[in-house]
Amino acid sequence: MKIKKILFVTKFEELGYDALKALLSLRKSALEHVVFMHVIERDKVAMQRGVGYKKDEAIRLKETANIRFIDWAERLFEQGLEVGVYIQVGSLAAEVAKAVRKEEADLVVIGRSHKTAMEQFYSGSTVIELIRRLSIPVLVYKPVSNNPFVTGTPFQRPLIASDWSPASLSAVDYVLQLKPLIEEVRVIHVADEDAIEGSSVMNAQKTRKEVKARLEEICTRFQSAGIAARSHVYVGRPAQEIEKAAQECQATMVVLGSSSKNRWVERWIGSTPRAIAEQSAFPALLIPPAME
Amino acid sequence: MGKKVLVVDDDPDVRLFSTTVLEENGYLPLEAENGEEGLRMIKSEKPDLVILDVLMPRQSGIRLFRQLKIDAALKDVKVLILSGIAKKTFLRSQQALTEFGEGQVPEPEFYIEKPVDAEVLASTIKKALE
Repeated sequence: MKIKKILFVTKFEELGYDALKALLSLRKSALEHVVFMHVIERDKVAMQRGVGYKKDEAIRLKETANIRFIDWAERLFEQGLEVGVYIQVGSLAAEVAKAVRKEEADLVVIGRSHKTAMEQFYSGSTVIELIRRLSIPVLVYKPVSNNPFVTGTPFQRPLIASDWSPASLSAVDYVLQLKPLIEEVRVIHVADEDAIEGSSVMNAQKTRKEVKARLEEICTRFQSAGIAARSHVYVGRPAQEIEKAAQECQATMVVLGSSSKNRWVERWIGSTPRAIAEQSAFPALLIPPAME
Repeated sequence: MGKKVLVVDDDPDVRLFSTTVLEENGYLPLEAENGEEGLRMIKSEKPDLVILDVLMPRQSGIRLFRQLKIDAALKDVKVLILSGIAKKTFLRSQQALTEFGEGQVPEPEFYIEKPVDAEVLASTIKKALE
């Protein structure tokens, strides 16, 4: 589960060298290989009546990406890192999945999707589509400069949001192996409002105590590994409460198990991982169910 | 029969350019898409010269060059680097890997930064194989 190789997927406007630089702290753990990837959406160069396949445009877009990657690669090579590159025309999720298989990457890093809500409804969320296709974690990177709450590198103060699912318990194991990068871990659970509403004060406190005890078990695992950890219980709608917790804890990243809802259910009612990936101001590390 | 030259490059257009130059000058071209495939072909085909790109999937030319030069059986394989990556970067990278304890490797004898003219490539290949 060590992160030796990352696949850094960029459209350039959302994920630049500053993001890459922030991720280089992973070298303290095990990082030795960075693979850049840029996917040119097929419709930009597709066959059109009277024009045909826009080969010149494809070459122009590929070479523009190549020039950026050569510049980034030179900086990483000079630090002794191994670097690779993929520039492909096609569908983003499919091409990333292919590259992950070829490269045997340990982590995919991607920027926030720029699709509108309507586009996401019709074509789905790219991030969630990726999670479905991959059996490795995906880090949805958000630039620190856009977020007054985030200071530091993503892995410095992760906040793990646990819903006790096997995927969120895998997230704990995943963060444990990043010990050299971590200053402190916060572990939270968002209790369902329905479980509190209408019950007695004693019942509400009992729920809180039970949740806290389970969170403390997770904290003990971190503390035994020499990582400072604290637990917190929140009540309410998961996505909003996780965001609030990340701000209050001054977290540098939110870590959570990804949804196992099927495509159509998710398209209609959404999911917490999707909301965090697409809307949260914090970088989001999503651990897929396949790692269970 | 002409001498065997292996072109290791992930870009099919560059491979086509290099193999055309090789064929026109009487050499026998071989092709590999990345460093890993390149190493396998070097071991199986024993080419007289390797034209090596640097930035590639699976394994870079920096690592392949290093593997060749620290392997007693392969260290004499001639290598011409043909890449968009600057020679200065290539050397600094090898220096960094040496500092990490991976052993000293010599500088590449032939290094061309892309783009390259067919004539320049042909004359450098000729020089490398003399």
